[in-house]
Amino acid sequence: MSTIALDRLPPEVASHPPLVTTLDERRGTAGMWLFILTEAALFILLFFSYFYLAQGGWRWLGEEPPKLRLAIPMLVVLWISSAVLHWGERQVKAARYSRARTGLGLTILLGVIFLVMQAFEYMDHLKTLTPRTNVYGSIFYTITTFHAAHLILGLLMLCYALALPQYEPVNHPPHRPYHNTALYWHFVDFVWFWIIIFLYIGPNIR
Amino acid sequence: MAVEERLTQLWETPHTLYGWFSTVDHKQIGKRYLVTAMAFLIVGGLEALVMRLQLARANATLLTPEAYNQIFTMHAVTMIFWYASPILSGFAVYFVPLLIGARDMAFPRLNAFTYWSYLFSGLLLYGSALIGQSPHGGWFAYVPFTDSTYSPGLGMDFYALSLLFLTISTEGGAINFIVTIFRLRAPGMTISKMPLFLYSTLTISCAIVLALPSLTVGCVFLEVQRQWGFHFFDVAHGGAPLLWQQLFWIFGHPWVYVIFLPATGMVSMLLPVFSRRPIVGYPYVALSTVLTGLVGFGVWVHHMFAVGMSQMGMSFFSAASMTISIFSAVQVFAWLATVWTGRVVPTASFKFAMGFIALLVIGGLNGIVTAVIPVDWQVHDTYFVVSHLHYVLVGANVFPVIAGFYYWLPKITGRLMDERLGTWSFWVSFIGMNLTFFPMHVLGIEGMTRRIYTFSSGLGWDSMNELATIGAFVLAFGILLSVINFFSSLTGGRVAGKNPWNADTLEWSTESPPAVYGSVHIPTVVSRHPLWDNYEEEKDPNDARVLDQSRLTLSSTPLDAKPAALAYMPADSLWPFLFNLGMTLFFVALIIKWLWLALAGVIAMLVFNAVWLWPRPMKRPA
Repeated sequence: MSTIALDRLPPEVASHPPLVTTLDERRGTAGMWLFILTEAALFILLFFSYFYLAQGGWRWLGEEPPKLRLAIPMLVVLWISSAVLHWGERQVKAARYSRARTGLGLTILLGVIFLVMQAFEYMDHLKTLTPRTNVYGSIFYTITTFHAAHLILGLLMLCYALALPQYEPVNHPPHRPYHNTALYWHFVDFVWFWIIIFLYIGPNIR
Repeated sequence: MAVEERLTQLWETPHTLYGWFSTVDHKQIGKRYLVTAMAFLIVGGLEALVMRLQLARANATLLTPEAYNQIFTMHAVTMIFWYASPILSGFAVYFVPLLIGARDMAFPRLNAFTYWSYLFSGLLLYGSALIGQSPHGGWFAYVPFTDSTYSPGLGMDFYALSLLFLTISTEGGAINFIVTIFRLRAPGMTISKMPLFLYSTLTISCAIVLALPSLTVGCVFLEVQRQWGFHFFDVAHGGAPLLWQQLFWIFGHPWVYVIFLPATGMVSMLLPVFSRRPIVGYPYVALSTVLTGLVGFGVWVHHMFAVGMSQMGMSFFSAASMTISIFSAVQVFAWLATVWTGRVVPTASFKFAMGFIALLVIGGLNGIVTAVIPVDWQVHDTYFVVSHLHYVLVGANVFPVIAGFYYWLPKITGRLMDERLGTWSFWVSFIGMNLTFFPMHVLGIEGMTRRIYTFSSGLGWDSMNELATIGAFVLAFGILLSVINFFSSLTGGRVAGKNPWNADTLEWSTESPPAVYGSVHIPTVVSRHPLWDNYEEEKDPNDARVLDQSRLTLSSTPLDAKPAALAYMPADSLWPFLFNLGMTLFFVALIIKWLWLALAGVIAMLVFNAVWLWPRPMKRPA
């Protein structure tokens, strides 16, 4: 919490010194954590459905497994993006704001690269399996598309944070925009990790 | 300038059209929630009356089978989703900030947003009635019946998409309540001194955050199967119809507590006041509230005992379901002991609360009966279940809500409602309630299945059905008396004053109706009953808790409620409303499958959201 708060108000207005002078900046972060929690529940239920629908064991052994050629590099791209964003967040704390902006820009670039790779992955995969082929196609594309939609939402948040005029602590909301969007981005990356485990690697173990 | 004037300037919404659409005042929004939810109750109630007319005698032809299916579905969906939970949100939105001595919710504009999306999703649902294609698959919409093969038309699409719309509203509200209760409590209101209504609101908000995504997933699956040819529930392509049931009830049973627990929390607040003593066993009531919410996650399969599952699995869920009754019993005995050892002031509110206990016990006992698997198989999908769920939903939601209205409306309107008319309203509704739903036990055991649009005579069902129909009208008349009571109190009621019931919690220390800023000094608290102890909550010799520098309230630590920081509250904004227009466009476009229009809706939402969140300087007093 920063202690800037109210000293910038004109003296004739600040009539009574308040009980505390720090400014609450954590409500937004708490809200973001709860949002992530409910999104996590959403993905847990999607994975539950994936296992529930599976025939021949949870690894869908009756189906042709998805290729790992692009999926694993996509994971690496996301990991790098998370690392870069974390670095950027440390720049914010150290008050090096232009570097923080660079970190944000790089993260967005990596996110876009991920989406392009996913487009190629889809184009290849759709030749053999579509959402309408069977239930496996339905659940596979639903989970991965849900993830892509959340990733796009994360990208939009990052773009919004990039467009903000300043990252210095201020009196008015949004407080800690960099931190809160970073939390969401790390969450989206984390979900992709489980998609790789359950949807990509699992079925490939024969 | 006087302090009050300055605070009013900071917090007041202008009384203009712009102000009406842009207000973020929790008192305004709370009132809107209450009014809208009551409107849905009345609409859903009228639908019930039409159904009872159709079922009053054998072979009636008032409604066609399809019309009957649509009406019973709309009745259930309206009551469960657009009345029962939002009415409790209404009480919480209005009273949680006052109960904790805060000036607004943690996210005021999110609060406005959730109200508008609640309203628009309800309007979207009823849009289906305009084209005569309302959902007709019951409130739990089992596949394969609700698949496009057996339910062509747009009815079930309206169901799935308006529910998805509503889940967004409900999630936002739940997150707002959790953060508000954990971070904005008055200094000194430690977790062990919180009013019990806060415990129940907190519990159900956590349940919503974790359980509601299940409905989201289910509705998405249903919609993409119906309109886009996916195969989740389609056996021919490897799908599993039971997945819908699992997803629906993983959400559905916690939801039962979402619409039940806050009502118990309200009773735990007002019953002690009318018994003139603190509640018996405060920690046990608080704990059993939390445990009901927790164990509520492990009982969903008891809705599915008839689908054919392993004995072991069913036994587990049967046992868990019975465990719930222990927690409910703790609360019931705490209330009874409170009344027993107190000096009762038998107001109308008190009577409705006592009626609630009686109905809850009946509904709880026949609930235990249905948790026994062999009995469940016998009465599954019969009127016995209809009876059970109405005893708990009308008994444990509508009755406490009316008790809450008699107790809290004087705070909102500044006028007391008439006690005599209230007592009449109670007895008429109580008798009507039992007359309607008690015979349904018998009907269920005699084999009358639920959701049939008519029956032939000579099955022994005629007189019971006639009785139930008469009861339904008596019940409706009883509730109408309270509605009349409310409207006549607005002009003719006695002026309530600050604390007409001599109650113990902080909302009663404000004016009735409360000033836009709540109280001048943010209160501090030293006991569970701030207004019954000798401590002066608003004592503040240095004016350190006036906080008239801007739109500010006090933020405190989550457990110990030590003052931590100043929380800046955003000002009125039109963007939550506009955002919801974009979202409504999006959902309408999805129903009619105009994807470009849906994209336009998404872009509108994104732009409006960016403007909504764009930094603006702090509001200062003039």
